[in-house]
Amino acid sequence: MMIAKEENNIFLKQSNLKQNYAISTEKLNIYYGDHHVIKDVSLNIPEKVVFAIMGPSGCGKSTMLRAFNRLLELNEKAKVKGDIKVFGKSIYKMNPIKVRRIVGMVFQHPNPFPHMSIRDNVALGLKLNKLVKSKKEINERVEWALKKAALWEEVKNKLDEPASALSGGQQQRLCIARVVAMKPKVILMDEPTSNLDPISTKKIEELIDELKREVTIVIVTHSPAQAARVSDYVAFLYLGKLIEVGSTVDMFENPKEKLTEEYLTGRMG
Amino acid sequence: MSKEERYIDTFKYFLLPFCLFVFGLFALMLAVYFSASIPIFQHEGIKIYTTNIWRASENPNKEFYGVLAAIYGSVYTSVLAILIALPLSVSFAVFVIDYAPQKVKEPLIVATDVMAGLPTIIYGIWGAFVLVPLLKKYVMDPLYAYLSFIPLFSFKPVTGYSYFSAGVLLGIMVTPFASAIIREAYRSLPFMYREAIYSLGATRYEATKILIKEIKPAIVAGLLLAFGRAIGETVAVSLVIGNTFNISPSLFAPGYTISSLIANQFGNAFIYKYMVSALFAAGLSLFFIGLAVNILGILILRRYGHVR
Repeated sequence: MMIAKEENNIFLKQSNLKQNYAISTEKLNIYYGDHHVIKDVSLNIPEKVVFAIMGPSGCGKSTMLRAFNRLLELNEKAKVKGDIKVFGKSIYKMNPIKVRRIVGMVFQHPNPFPHMSIRDNVALGLKLNKLVKSKKEINERVEWALKKAALWEEVKNKLDEPASALSGGQQQRLCIARVVAMKPKVILMDEPTSNLDPISTKKIEELIDELKREVTIVIVTHSPAQAARVSDYVAFLYLGKLIEVGSTVDMFENPKEKLTEEYLTGRMG
Repeated sequence: MSKEERYIDTFKYFLLPFCLFVFGLFALMLAVYFSASIPIFQHEGIKIYTTNIWRASENPNKEFYGVLAAIYGSVYTSVLAILIALPLSVSFAVFVIDYAPQKVKEPLIVATDVMAGLPTIIYGIWGAFVLVPLLKKYVMDPLYAYLSFIPLFSFKPVTGYSYFSAGVLLGIMVTPFASAIIREAYRSLPFMYREAIYSLGATRYEATKILIKEIKPAIVAGLLLAFGRAIGETVAVSLVIGNTFNISPSLFAPGYTISSLIANQFGNAFIYKYMVSALFAAGLSLFFIGLAVNILGILILRRYGHVR
């Protein structure tokens, strides 16, 4: 199997460029018990772009994403080797709580706390990290975040109702608002639309396009079509190995690896 | 309709008799308790529940029974038990699931499950010989000595057998039981909520605080069942409560409970004309207390939006 080569590819080159990447990994290896999930992945993700990590189910993309904010540590069996840097600083030299404040996350299943009110769900991260102090500031930030997540108009009259009252698509946008409220620098999205209907999916994708002006978005998807729609750059992951990485347009028009081409044309996946 | 669908459909006729049997047992028992209580109701009316008198006499006209002290004692000790079991069982459940090292997790779970299943006389004897003297020496005597101006502590603990002893013992007895229910609910909370709360930068303590709120219904359910066990508990309680017809707000006063009353008086009840009926009427009150507690539980759960 061919593996992506370093030469002339800024996404792979190690730290010899001065540019600050939002996230960069160095020889990242992840193990679940005896299972080697991610194999020697070195990757640079530039700032303020939408970066897609694409690959078939089980290729390790969600696992890799969870390493970026140290959420993988919730799983006792998972072990990480190699280094991950966020804006040039190793996340293993930072408090995990601080890492998660800078690197927010949106999950595959919309997971707002169902019995908590819509307002409290959005304010949760703010309160936990004591980012804003007064009640007034919290309410302002909640409104701001809900507007950013294009949900404000739908919920402004029922902020104190439980989150379970919302539809699946609305709940996912609520989760985006919850992350956005903390003003993170990077948002990780783990197949954020895989459980949503096409209309909700479209709304989320529009939102991603809107958000990338201010934050870096790393989105995991098993759908090449979605990667093509939303991302500026894309990495193709197969069986834990990084096969190819580059600008989305280039890769879709002219894939360099045979595996990538097979995946994109639907012959594999 | 296909053959398979018909099979699934007829399954309900197979299940129905079992359902009727369970419900029928309940209805029948209620009917028996009610009909057996009729003589005492005819003899003295509602006063069986509103007075605190226990007068047995060979002359039926002089017999008079009032079980208010026992009803009061049952509710008082069970509420005490729940107040003790709530913090114990929730803390234990959280510790076992979130904090206990993998190696001690299973032994802890097995130990508490064994405790939940122990015969209650085991607790009773331990309570009477170990717990009560300890409580008297280290809790009741000091509290009485320094805080007896508070009505709760105003009764001089002579023997130590009291509402307080019964409440503490019951609290200890129902904790493994309530904790098992709360623990399983906490364990089965979807992992995505744990991920959500940690991804927002929560510490472990903060995550626990938020997650525990998500299982409030299970906590309520666990405590309701625990309350049911506490109020029905007989032998252990009668060993430590003092078995005295007494109504007092003071924790250290002796009292009675319905089930210990029935157990203690049952042996000689046949000598008297109305006593058996009075004991059945006392038992009947437990049905109503159980009903009231369950309705309360449904109302609490409805407030959280879990029962519609």
